[in-house]
Amino acid sequence: MSPVSHLASRPSPGEPAAAVRTAGLRVRHRRTVALDSVDLDFGPGVHGLLGPNGAGKTSLIRVLATVAEPSGGRVEILGHDIRDHRRRGEVRRGLGYLPQDFGYYPGFTVREFVAYVAWLKEMPADGVPAAVERAVARVGLADRIDAKVRRLSGGMIRRVGIAQAVVNEPPVLLLDEPTAGLDPEQRVEFRELLRELGVSSTVIVSTHLVEDVAAACTEVTLVDAGRVAYRGTPPSLAALGESEGGPGDHPIERGYTAALRAHRASAPGGALR
Amino acid sequence: MTHGFLLYARSRVLPRTVLALAGTAAAAVLGARNLDAYLDPSRQVPVVALAPLFAAAVIGTSLHSASDELDRTAVRPWWRRRLVHLPALTGCAALLLAATVYGHPSPFGPAAMVRNTLGCVGLTAGAAALLGARLSWLPVFGYVSAVYLGSANARGRAVPVWAWPVQPAAQHTAWVSAVVLLVAGTALYVARGARPEGRRD
Repeated sequence: MSPVSHLASRPSPGEPAAAVRTAGLRVRHRRTVALDSVDLDFGPGVHGLLGPNGAGKTSLIRVLATVAEPSGGRVEILGHDIRDHRRRGEVRRGLGYLPQDFGYYPGFTVREFVAYVAWLKEMPADGVPAAVERAVARVGLADRIDAKVRRLSGGMIRRVGIAQAVVNEPPVLLLDEPTAGLDPEQRVEFRELLRELGVSSTVIVSTHLVEDVAAACTEVTLVDAGRVAYRGTPPSLAALGESEGGPGDHPIERGYTAALRAHRASAPGGALR
Repeated sequence: MTHGFLLYARSRVLPRTVLALAGTAAAAVLGARNLDAYLDPSRQVPVVALAPLFAAAVIGTSLHSASDELDRTAVRPWWRRRLVHLPALTGCAALLLAATVYGHPSPFGPAAMVRNTLGCVGLTAGAAALLGARLSWLPVFGYVSAVYLGSANARGRAVPVWAWPVQPAAQHTAWVSAVVLLVAGTALYVARGARPEGRRD
């Protein structure tokens, strides 16, 4: 059974299937609260996660990727509660994750690195070589597949990171700043890939680049100081910017600043730090 | 699966680690040769104390994970791999180092070498879990150096407990200390893994 059909086999009756759901999610880092009472659900499509530095985007992605533990609330991915350690393996088989800084084993070639991640995901061994080649081709690195990762440029390494995240064709894909370090042409290609992936998968992309959101995302979630400040579509965020007149050079940028100001005005004690 | 295991071994630079252990053993053979230990067995103490120290440092650095964040998304829990990785290298180091002083029927022969390897690896594994693999050699280096330099004139019943690296092989208390360190360090490492190094948001 492919991961995609796995997702398709779990439709929620009466509403679009949400592959990722959080309820009352709370994340603490020592004394600071990174996320507080976050209720979100994400279905198939590309979801842009916007917000200032330190807003909690990376904390949210890391909890969804099951690498960080929430301190409260409930997180459900592909129908499983991630606190249930017996089901974690099942969840992780269906996850793709690109961390902000993923690190790589210095001696590995692109092929070996992506195969290593396929092994971590316990993909059937006979399908791994073809899956690795497919993933690497998808990010446009087919001609560098046997090059050492450490010899690649920053943008290429980022693309290797994307390749490892999609090698298992995950129904849930979590990308933390995937376009950092890509040149404009690569970003255009990457958005194309995002749109393609969003047709069947739930893709959550944390980014600072409003152009990425405008061009590739079907939904946008704005996080500020650990809380959800806005949810909508890129056109609705742009419309908010036009009506509220927030500062910025791009309609989405104006929407972003307007939504942030509105959120901060409505919750004066909302700054958690 | 086999291919995955090979990738795991290469990701942890295990081939180079085994070579470095063999190099440590070769250096120990050279070091032991010129000590004239048949005149005074305690002349072998530097080799028996320092070779396990270097071997443990080599093993400690192999516990480093360059892509810790991705490794945490592995489907299978890591503790089983850790429970193979660390004891396998420890056994390899203990055998290699014991062989370097094989045939020296002194109180500081193969048995003392094995005991010191176990104790040093235990300290290093614990340090990898608490400090990170890259610095895991530091506490054991400091500890064994301090014991080596400071235990010469120490007297008292507690000496074998803390000065285990420089005790003769027949000293049972020193064995207990080394094995306790091995078990505690291994348990800590197997349960927690090496402490992540680098940035965290």
